[in-house]
Parts: sequence; C-alpha cells; structure tokens
Amino acid sequence: MDRHESAGFNVSAESNEGGKQVGMGRKPTIWETLTNEKNFKWTLVVPLLVLLVIFAFYPLFYSMYFSFHDWGMQGNPVFSGLKNYRQLVNDSTFWAAFGRTIEVLVICIVVELLLGLGVALLWNREFKGQNIVRGLALLPLLVAPLTLSLLWYFLLDYNFGAVNQILSALGFQKVYWWAPNRALFTICFITIWQWFPFSAFVLLAGLKSLPKDVFEAARVDGASSAYTFRRLTLPMLSPLIMIIIVLRAMWLIRLMDPLFGTTRGAVNTELLDWIVYRTGFVMFDIGYGSAMAVVSWAATMVLCLLMFRQLMKSMAAGR
Amino acid sequence: MIKKICFWLLTTITLLFVLFPLAWVYLTAFKSNADIFDPRLIRFVVFKPTLDNFRNLFSQYPFWHDLLNSLIVSIGSTIITMLVAFPAAYSFARWNTGGGDLLFLTISTRMFPPAIAAIPHFIVFKTLGLLDTHWGLMLLYVFLNVSFATFLLYGFFDQVPKELEQAAMIDGYSRTEVFRKIVFPLIKPGLAVTAVFCLIWAWNEFFFAFLFTRNVARPVNVLISSFWGGLQVQYGLMAAGAAITILPALVIVGFMQRYIIRGLTFGAVKG
Repeated sequence: MDRHESAGFNVSAESNEGGKQVGMGRKPTIWETLTNEKNFKWTLVVPLLVLLVIFAFYPLFYSMYFSFHDWGMQGNPVFSGLKNYRQLVNDSTFWAAFGRTIEVLVICIVVELLLGLGVALLWNREFKGQNIVRGLALLPLLVAPLTLSLLWYFLLDYNFGAVNQILSALGFQKVYWWAPNRALFTICFITIWQWFPFSAFVLLAGLKSLPKDVFEAARVDGASSAYTFRRLTLPMLSPLIMIIIVLRAMWLIRLMDPLFGTTRGAVNTELLDWIVYRTGFVMFDIGYGSAMAVVSWAATMVLCLLMFRQLMKSMAAGR
Repeated sequence: MIKKICFWLLTTITLLFVLFPLAWVYLTAFKSNADIFDPRLIRFVVFKPTLDNFRNLFSQYPFWHDLLNSLIVSIGSTIITMLVAFPAAYSFARWNTGGGDLLFLTISTRMFPPAIAAIPHFIVFKTLGLLDTHWGLMLLYVFLNVSFATFLLYGFFDQVPKELEQAAMIDGYSRTEVFRKIVFPLIKPGLAVTAVFCLIWAWNEFFFAFLFTRNVARPVNVLISSFWGGLQVQYGLMAAGAAITILPALVIVGFMQRYIIRGLTFGAVKG
C-alpha cells in the first residue's frame, strides 16, 4: 500500500514549501531540514524511538549483560560466564513457575472464551436496559487488578469470606480456597472473573457485525441452529477469537498483581514474573534474576512472533 | 415467554456474578469491624452504617497525599504519552513509516515482562535520584503506555482517508492547516479514548509503583495494599480506599462504554 507517492500530492506539497519557507540559494535551517518532505515522517517518530530505546531496549541489554555476571547490588559485578544459565536449567522452582504460568494461561483463556461466548450469545439481541446491563458488566475490566485481588482474598476467606458464608447457608461444605492444591485455581478464578467480560464484548461486537443474509439463507435451507453455529458463526468469529487468545496470552504471561493481594507466591502459586521479582528484589541476586528475566522475555517473544502475524491479519480483517 | 424468563434469569446471574465483589466493597466501606467479621450472612447487607473507615483513612493515613500523587502521576504521564504517541501514530498511519516493522517493534515492547525492565530501571533510577519521585514514576508510565497509545491512535488515523488530505493540499492548504482543519477534528474522539485509557492504566498500575516509590511519590494503590498485613488485614480501611479509587472506572463506564473494548483490543475491535 503506497500512501504518499501519488504524484499530485508531492508536487503540490513541494511547491507549497518552496514558495513559503525555503528561500532560493540559502542553506536550510535545522527546522526546515527536519520538516522537509523526505524527513518529516521520521522526525515524527523520533521521540517514540528515543523513549523505547531508553526504557525498553537499554534495560533489555542491561539484563542480558547482568545475566552473565554475579551481582548483589553492592560492589562490582563479577563476570561468571554461563553460570547463571546453567543454574537456571536445573532450577526446579523456576521451571515449576514456568509450568504454572502456562497452566494459568491455558485455563484462563479457555474458560474466558467459553464464558465470554455464552454471554455474547445471550446478549446478542435488543433488550430493555441493555446499555446499563452491558455497562455494568464492563466494570471489572477497568478496576485495578491489585484492588480486586485484595477484595477476593477476603471474599474467599475460610471463616469470614462471604463466599463460604453463602455456601454454608445453602448447605454446602466450606471450602479452603487458598489450600496449596487449590490456590492456583483460585488465582485463575479471580483472573477469569475480571477478564471474561473482555471476551464477551469482543465476541459480541463480532456477532453484531455478522452478515444477516447468510444466516437467513441457512435458515431457509433448513439448517439446524447447532449446525449454523458450528459451520457459520464460529468460523466467522475465528479472527476475533484469535485476537482474544493473542492479547490475553500477552497479558497473562505477565500475571503479577493478583498475587500481590493474595498469596504473594506462597502455596504453589509462584508465577514467572513473581519468581523474577523475588530473586531480583527480595533476594537481591541481580545476576540470577536477570538470567530468569531474559529467559522469560525470550519465551514471551517466541509466543509473540508466533502469534503476531496472525494478530495483524485478524486486525486487518476486523478493521 | 419462557424464553424471556430464561434470558432475564441468566442475565441476572451474570450481573450478580460480576457485581457481587464490587457491591461488597461499597457495603464493607460503611461497616464497623464488628460487622465485617460477623459470620452471619444477614450482616452482609443488614448493618449499622458508619463513616469511621473513611474518617480513619483520611485522618490516620496520608490518603489525600497519596491520592494526589496518583492524580499527578496519571495526568502527567498521560500528557507526555500523548505528546510522543500522537505524531508517531500519524507518521505510521500516513506514510507507513518503517514498513510495519517499526510498528511491530513498538508494540512488542508492551510485551516485555515488567520484571525484565524493573531491575535495570531500578539501578539507573537509583543513580539518577529518580526513585520515589513523581517524575520517575511518570516516565515509567509513559513507557508502559506509549506503545499501546501509538497503536490505538494509529487505528484512528488510519481511518482518515488520505485522499481528503491530498485534496486539501492541492487546494493550497499548508501541512499545518491540513492537520488543524481536517485531520484533527476527525481524530478528536480517538484522542479522547486513548487519553482516557492512558489515565486509567496509570491509575491502576501497581507493580512499578510498589517498587519505585516509598513515601514521597507513593500512589494510592500502594497505600491500599499496605493494609494487607498477612495475619492482620484492615478490611474496613481497604474497602474504603478501594471504594474511592474505583470511582473513576464507574465514571468512565458511564461515559465511554462503546470505546472500552476498542481500547482494550488496541483498536482492533470496534466494539
């Protein structure tokens, strides 16, 4: 797609500038050089690039540098070669955290998609008070995850938590929500609770934009609603489902805030970012923490590269 | 008829599921400690309302101070983010600068695990004396939000037909005039949405705030998290604090419902 090189556009822009700004036979000022036809588009992105280099790429290289050193924030870093990485390969706590992160990723995305699809199908119609109902359902998405995790920690408390009180009032057994074999699922539950409206509303947007005539034709041909759903609705929603999976994976791989308000990495809930945080900021083992961070970054990038092309395609289709 | 009942039943269940914890915040904020820890279910809704939690929050803790910090940092970071993202997004959309790779690079930085950035940032900030300052936190939030803001604005700029700009230039408008009279009016809603998202994300952010501030620039989220003490948690105070910090989200849902999904999908879904 060529956006700028239509002849008429360029000629007019040049004559415009030539007449108004750049006098004949004079060296252009810095400002004129920056804003001339050729450089202007680059001038506009420079602030962004500077910011990204300082805040994203510099720390990345810094971490890579430290991952080959031993450093405890005091004295000078000591070069240690691949020691940190060798330690990492055999570190079962790290790989457990890695595995748990993937577990959370899969559970949350699947449940969110299913719940979201259900709600989207439910609300894909005109009904009284639809704006209020939908607006209320959007709320969790905008509330700080940390605040929500603090709330849920109390709501799911064994003795005083409202959830257990309701359960026992209904005649069920109280549940130890934060037991070591269950806490990770409770974390998943909190996350799903906050994010299923996201899937729901993305899919709802998709359902609303589906072409009516195709479904009309299917109905006339006598296709059952289950068949229509499986063969028409789902395939047409697939770019949006892809968007949900990619974006949610990006968010979930860095899941962190829900741990702060609840278990703080105890009872088998330590996730990838938490173990990096704990190694770097609690134990001050910068070298080893950096090695973990680099591996965690690499994993994220693999995930992104695998999915980004698909995402851009889906986005182009959505737009 | 049965269909209608089923519909409303399911809708009610969904809403109860979603609103239950939020309702709990606002109820608990007005409860005394005795009522909070009363195991009888009826105490969930029936209790003697009190303002003690709010009173304590404002008198015994620097809640105003921290709320103000949150406000300063959110607004400041949003302004800087928009100043950086706006021209870049225009360039990406108008001239396809960098042929898409640059845009990928930009968005990929949003996927960096925060922990990878946190260690080097902490060391650099310590050297530069930026720890526990408004500026330090603002810069971090600019970094966190800028790639997303660029992508979202890119989507809005992309919808302005470039023929419109070309026609105006042929008619003798200068570039500034084209921008001011044609592009800007069309992009205004996009700007508002993006700015609101930067605001709310900065307002909600916790991890960096927790690591990079102590007392001076501490945002309100970090204060609220300090009521969590492992064994002893001050739920009344926590709920009162949360009740106040959730208010902006309520306002935004009221005004911008149809833009929220667009924002959360980086502009990919119109919502």
